[in-house]
Amino acid sequence: MTALRQAGLILVIALGLAGVTAAIHPKRPALLAPPADPNEVTLAQTKQWAGTVLWVDARPDAEFASGHIPDAVSLNFENWPEAFPRFLDSYSPDRRVVVYCSAKSCQLSREIAEKLRASGLTSAYYLEGGWEAWKQQNLP
Amino acid sequence: MGAIAVRQVSPAIGLSKNICHLPFVVGHSHFPMRLYLLLSLFLAAPAFAQLKWDTMEQNVKAKPGDHEIVATYRFTNIGKTPITIDNVHTSCGCTTAALAKNDYAPGESGQIVARMDIGSRTGHQEKSILVTTRENAKSPTVLRLLADIPEPIVMKPSFVMWTIGESPTPKTINIKVTDGFPIKLLKVEADNPDIKLEVSEVRPGVELEVKVTPRDTKRPESATLLVRTDYPTDNPQTYYAYARVR
Repeated sequence: MTALRQAGLILVIALGLAGVTAAIHPKRPALLAPPADPNEVTLAQTKQWAGTVLWVDARPDAEFASGHIPDAVSLNFENWPEAFPRFLDSYSPDRRVVVYCSAKSCQLSREIAEKLRASGLTSAYYLEGGWEAWKQQNLP
Repeated sequence: MGAIAVRQVSPAIGLSKNICHLPFVVGHSHFPMRLYLLLSLFLAAPAFAQLKWDTMEQNVKAKPGDHEIVATYRFTNIGKTPITIDNVHTSCGCTTAALAKNDYAPGESGQIVARMDIGSRTGHQEKSILVTTRENAKSPTVLRLLADIPEPIVMKPSFVMWTIGESPTPKTINIKVTDGFPIKLLKVEADNPDIKLEVSEVRPGVELEVKVTPRDTKRPESATLLVRTDYPTDNPQTYYAYARVR
């Protein structure tokens, strides 16, 4: 019985310390995973939209010049004032806009998609994995 | 803001030696010793700390007309050995982080200066700067740059569009000066006479409602709407909205 009490006490102390660590540790993991962003799409999803996708390249101009998805429009935070009117000349409401940047770690595509929605587009998505994912599929 | 130390925590050190010298075995119960060991595991002090940062997070509010945001992160090597900063990496191509040199002797201080190009960014921005030292290469320190970039004028939406053959009914753009900006909306005009504008003041100089109507939708049309302001006085800015028939 004593051993049981001791085990219980050790457990309570351990849980207490673990709780404190979970609450204050700067690198504590999120207890609940963030919900999936409905605006993020995979290459497989975009293949189902073939012919209706308007690709937007959010990378810097130099990276766009060195290679991009065929018919993509360059639109980033640096060239927005000149490039947004050109984007509108390619856009029509029946097209799905998908923004991409360099790789999965890149946030530019999400940010540009957000800015497009704030500008009045009803839907603007961003590509999971970006240009890197496109190249890995050996697409042109 | 209080100083924050980046600690390099060693594994629980010297545990076996501690066991040899523990005097807490009483009768048949080893519980106090076990408790002591358990607490030792949790409370083992970090071996030493090396880089101490004045702050690891900077919150900057951009002012009208700013083109970049600058944040400085100061640090001191409070360890007993030299430390080498091998890499400073930013999470966004829009942000650069400059370090004067890589090696810091014990007690020596330095700083990382981060610069973020604003470009057409608006609203709340969060960027990270990863600092990797040779002594702790697997656990880079993450510095955070939080920026608030106010948008002087908000247009909702910033473009209107009709498809060919669609009824040319008016579509409305609301133009509003953000609170706190000393801007007066002077005039809105279109650069294409086939796109008609009807401007009404919701709040004089501060909020406008613009009804945009194409003459017809039989063929593609394109217009830029020029929103004239009086701010800043030495170089009054024009903002743009767009109309398309496609």
